[in-house]
This record gives sequence, C-alpha cells and structure tokens, in this order.
Amino acid sequence: MHLGIDRHRPERIAAIDDTGTKLSYGGLCDFAIEFGSMMPRRSIVFCLCENTIGALSGYIGCLSNHIVPLLIGAAIDRKLLAHLIEVYTPAYMWMPEGLVSEFDLPVLYKGYGFVLVRTEHERYPINDDLAMLLTTSGSTGSPKLVRHKYINLVANAKNVAALFDWTKNDRAVVDLPMQYTMGLNVINSHLYAGASVLLTEHNLMSPDFWRNIKDQRATNFTGVPFSYEVLFKLRFTRMDLPYLTTLAEGGGKLTATMFADIADYASRTGKRFFATFGTTETSARLAFLPAELAQAKIGSIGRAIPGGELFLLDEKGNEIKQNEIEGELGYRGPNVTMGYAFCRNDLMLGDEWQGEYRTGDIARRDSDGCYYILGRKSRFLKLYGLRVSLDRCERLIKDEFKIDCVCTGTDKRMDIYITEDKYKDEVRRFISIKTGIIMSAYAVFIVESIPRNESGKVQYKALDRKLSLRLI
Amino acid sequence: MNNLKEYNKVFTTLFNINDYQLNKDFTFNNVEDWDSIVHLSLITELEDTFNVMFETEDILSFGSYENGMRILEKYEISFNDF
Repeated sequence: MHLGIDRHRPERIAAIDDTGTKLSYGGLCDFAIEFGSMMPRRSIVFCLCENTIGALSGYIGCLSNHIVPLLIGAAIDRKLLAHLIEVYTPAYMWMPEGLVSEFDLPVLYKGYGFVLVRTEHERYPINDDLAMLLTTSGSTGSPKLVRHKYINLVANAKNVAALFDWTKNDRAVVDLPMQYTMGLNVINSHLYAGASVLLTEHNLMSPDFWRNIKDQRATNFTGVPFSYEVLFKLRFTRMDLPYLTTLAEGGGKLTATMFADIADYASRTGKRFFATFGTTETSARLAFLPAELAQAKIGSIGRAIPGGELFLLDEKGNEIKQNEIEGELGYRGPNVTMGYAFCRNDLMLGDEWQGEYRTGDIARRDSDGCYYILGRKSRFLKLYGLRVSLDRCERLIKDEFKIDCVCTGTDKRMDIYITEDKYKDEVRRFISIKTGIIMSAYAVFIVESIPRNESGKVQYKALDRKLSLRLI
Repeated sequence: MNNLKEYNKVFTTLFNINDYQLNKDFTFNNVEDWDSIVHLSLITELEDTFNVMFETEDILSFGSYENGMRILEKYEISFNDF
C-alpha cells in the first residue's frame, strides 16, 4: 500500500474532513483495494481534488495500485482543464459527485462523495517508474507537469516525518490544497507516521476553520507566507491554542519581521516553529531550519532534510565550497523527481534528473551550514551593470513602508508596483538610496491590488501585461 | 466624507463595483471575488480608514457588507450621521 498505510492499526483515524467524515487506516486500505479493481494498472486518472476524504482516498487508491493520477484542483479553470485533457487524454477521471453533470460521461464507481468516470480516451503506454503527475505552482495555462516516481513520494514522506518527529498522535490541519506539493507533503508525511490529517476546505478567514482547529485539537499547522499574514491579522498570537504544538512554513519567503515574530511567539509559548523550503520538482520539502535555531537564524531555510544534500553552484556550474558566497541552490536526494512532461509522449520518458535538481534560486550558506534564499535566479536585474535582486527590493519596500509591493522589469529599468499612491515618490527615493543606483533606473506604478493566484503567488505576467497595455 | 461614504468607498474600490451593488446580499458567500486574499485587504483597508483594530472574532464573523457596519458600530463608528 502507498506510504505503508497498511502498517498502522486499522482502527486508527487517517483523515477527517469538514463533513465530519472520519476515515480509518483500515477503511482507507479497503477502499484502495476496491478502487484498484475498477480499472487496469498504469491507467492515467485525472483527480479533481478538494480537501476531502473523497479526493484523498482516490489519490491513495491510485498510488496503491500503480494507477497514475494527475492531481488538479476541482476548481481549475475549465479551459485549462480541457486543454490538459486534450494533451494527456486520461482514460478515467475521479471527481466530486457534484461535477459529474458537467462531463456527461459514464460513472463506473462511487465513494465518499466522489465518482469515477470513464472518458472516451484509450489507455496508452507510459514509463514503468511514473507514479504521479502534478502541475507546478507557476503553471498558468501551460500543460507542464512534474513526473514523480514512487520512491520520491515515499522517501520524502519518510524523511519529512523524521525531521518533524511526527508520531501517530499528531493531528495536522491541512488547508493548503492537496494538489499543491506542500499540501500533499503535509498529508504524506503524516500518513507515513500513522498520524491523522484534518482536511479542510475552509479558509483561514472563516470562523469554521478555527472552530475546527479547536474542536479537533489540531497539533500541527503548515502555512505559506500568506497564511501567516492572515494569522497575524487575526492576532493569532493572542488566541488560546493549547493543543497546537508545531507551526511550519514553506512555499515562499516570510518577511524578516514576520519570521522573527513567529519564532518569538513559538519560543514564548513552548511551540515549535520550522521554516522549510521545497519545490514541486523535489516532491516538496528539501530543506528545513531546526526549531531551536529559528530565533538565531531569521530568514534561513536551514539545512538539507535527512537523506538529502544541498550545494551551491557558480555561474559556470562549479560547486562553491566557501561560505558566504552567492550561487544557485542545488539539491541531491531521493525525492528529486524524474523531470517535466509537456505532452503525452513525455510520459514514456525515464528519470532525466537522476536525483539532482537545480532550484533556480540564488542562495548563500553561512558558517554554520545554514542556507538563505536571496531570490529567484530569473528575478535579478542588471541595472547599470549592478546585479539587483527584485525579491530583495520587494522585501525592503514592504518592511520600510508596510505596504504590498511587487518589483519586475528589465535590465534597463525596474518597475515597482505599490498599492499606496502617497508613497510613490518616497519609494523611488528609498530604493535608489538602498541600492545605490540612480532614481531614473526605477519607475513606480500604483495598482489597486497585487494580482495573486490561489496559493498567494504574485502573477507577474498579469502586471507586465497590464503595463504594456497602458492600463496602469 | 461621512462614515457610510467612506465605508462604501472601501468596498467599491476593492471589488471594483458601484455603490448601488452594495446591499444585504453583498456577502462573503454570495460574492465570488470575496476570497481570503480580498478579505485580508478589506480588513486592512477598513482598519486604516476608520483607525480601528478589529478583534479576531470580528474579522472572522465580518461576513457581509451589512454586518460589517454592525461590527464597526462596536468600535464607535456611527453610520447614522447622514
């Protein structure tokens, strides 16, 4: 069974969702066997996910039977979905019962509010090692998928469970979408440990979310930077959450202030705070900062997870051995996936990455071996010959003015988007002083709000497009 | 500008709508664009506009255009001055 779920006592609870439905490990194993009998091994199944028992069971059912799912959100844009179906021609789809009328396809099987439908497409040969497909967080309308093999998911679940020291008594609230690599990693690492996952569709701003956390006595919370912005807005440091013992962060960089505030809060209340770093290409987590270092190493992603290795590469691709030098962050470990797929034929491909992945992030390592992400490799401009990090500029402006901000641009000019008209001139002067580059290298634009996708990532292309159309 | 006008302006700017669209049906559940990201901006804007700091429960239970006024009244922001 996937993640060794059959190792756990059958009566233990694996998952609970918003409907109050509880699923035991035994129930999950039984479901997986039944699910597997509905279709041949090595079929491709599109799983339209929501954070519910139905979606989770389908995922476990696929992986336990060598059926290959593509996990995508049930709310996925229908044009993009149609495009993915056209490109990857899945023979089956697993979706919430409420969506089935959209498709007019024969239903083969039902379970936990989900249905399995047969499409008009035939099965086709795929690589033996291919276990699962995910989109990347950056995929906007493109059919680019990440090809996972079996060992990736199990190794990452095991190693991440080990670094957090999850036990069967842990109860993790999962509001990050399960089709998102970090959300899936929270699920996988807890199921590996025999713990329980509390799947929720409620967002952090809803009273039901907090009622759930209290009633279900959640012990672990994992959020992206936006989640923590919400938590602070809700003054969660004043909430009484006695059962919550572990706070984890991943999926982007917290501001220094917020990082320090969470670390202090955790230390003051006897909780653990772990900053982590991961990518879809490495089945999520590849680095973590031990909780006891959180206050001392503000903003660090720490060291490699157990079983992995981090390194830095210079512009020629040679490994940088000295500390405190900037370079591209690379990772070696069993959770590195096989590569990308852009079309159906790519699903025949074997392991292209061979356990090594370059993240495309520029980082440095301190003398204690802790790593700090400085920004995306592609998110640097060369203004007047000087390398300037767009991410760093964003953080500087956010910290100084306490406003939302996005920086993009070309090597000719940096475009800064802010939401407060009154700071327009000040921001320009400030960033010019901070970087030591003349003001004419910067242009500031006022927007009503910064466009972000459902996981909170900035949609840079949308901003650039608006600007080029002179809508700003 | 009176409080109601200020209050409406936060909504119309954030949701890119007109005043007449603001009524009792303008709720978190009804309005598709009202997600957690917009909710965070809404709360921040209202706090800045009226110089208040909401309690957690009030942020969570904000829920609708109309209820928002009830909540602001608890912070001594009156909507009866028109």
